[in-house]
Amino acid sequence: MKVKLPLALALTAVTTAALSGQVEEQIRFRQSAYSFLSWNTGKIKSQVVDHPETFNKDQIIAAANAIAATANSGLINLYGPGTDQGIGWKQSRLRPEFFQKQDEAKELDATFIKEANELAKVAATGDAGAIKAQFGKVGASCKGCHDLIRIRE
Amino acid sequence: MKETVHIWDWPLRLFHWLLVIAVVGAYVTGKLGGDLTDWHGRIGGLILGLLIFRIIWGFVGTTHARFVNFFPTFGRLAAYFKGNWHGIGHNPVGALSVLALLAVLTVLAATGLFANDDIAFEGPLFSLIDKSLSDKLSGIHALALDVLMGLLALHLAAIAFHQLVKKNNLVLPMLTGRKQVHKAQASSIPAVGALRFLMTVVISSTLVWSIWSGNVASYLNPVDSLQTAAVRLGW
Repeated sequence: MKVKLPLALALTAVTTAALSGQVEEQIRFRQSAYSFLSWNTGKIKSQVVDHPETFNKDQIIAAANAIAATANSGLINLYGPGTDQGIGWKQSRLRPEFFQKQDEAKELDATFIKEANELAKVAATGDAGAIKAQFGKVGASCKGCHDLIRIRE
Repeated sequence: MKETVHIWDWPLRLFHWLLVIAVVGAYVTGKLGGDLTDWHGRIGGLILGLLIFRIIWGFVGTTHARFVNFFPTFGRLAAYFKGNWHGIGHNPVGALSVLALLAVLTVLAATGLFANDDIAFEGPLFSLIDKSLSDKLSGIHALALDVLMGLLALHLAAIAFHQLVKKNNLVLPMLTGRKQVHKAQASSIPAVGALRFLMTVVISSTLVWSIWSGNVASYLNPVDSLQTAAVRLGW
């Protein structure tokens, strides 16, 4: 009995890995990254822009650091060949044209990283006005990529 | 013989030019994104208010503002193409353009209420529906923009065509309300009823305000009230 559970778990893990190839894995990781980002951007939007009375400096610093860390994690490496077609947590919305627009995408990725780093710096000061302004720049850098390589639903 | 008459009442003209400004503002803020996305949403609220105003005004406004007087029926369109249309308000083809523009703007304003941008924007009624439905509506929002751009191009081309080919200036009457028409057709619109105008403004702004203030969302979905939304992400 004691052996069966770990064995079953191991088997499940192996089959899951076998069923989802590298393409699916890349898509799943990047979808997870954006989902995690949205928690942190949502927190900043809520506490700095929509309901400034809920501003919590520590949470904002943590959110900005998480955004910067995720931006710097090398997300662009998760856009390997064929990853416009697979299903991660759900169907990828990457446009096939992405593969012809790599230079532009790399530039946009660099902008995102730059603005996210700046946001982490600004967040540390606790200046809500400055955080709001820099948060807008991060949002604009997100939009740059959405407009370029993401399929509309 | 020509005579100058009033054809467009001032609330209609005010509506038209405010809508022009608002649509340009919505377009620019929507394209730039970032900080301006919230302004895009607010301008969308203004556009929604203007549309509600125009729809009500289409029933209670003066002569040529009323849908019933310019609705492009088959008979009117047929008469127009045979050269037998002698009205002085929107001609039947222009009326098609008016209704198409109002319809697509309504789609834009309505989908915008439920939209999200996967960055930091959620429309004021987003909390009432699933994220996946919101994504679809956001897609329709983007698609409707393409349709709007096409209709606006057509609108401007038609104005240019009337100006250059038919020697018929459409822009000036939309500014002044006055137009030179044949004496046989000359009849001015009645004065604008102040009470009607005020009531129309009150109704449309109240509707928009109740949506925008979050009252509609919190009434329909009290669990996700503004207060919980404010702190929900920090847990």
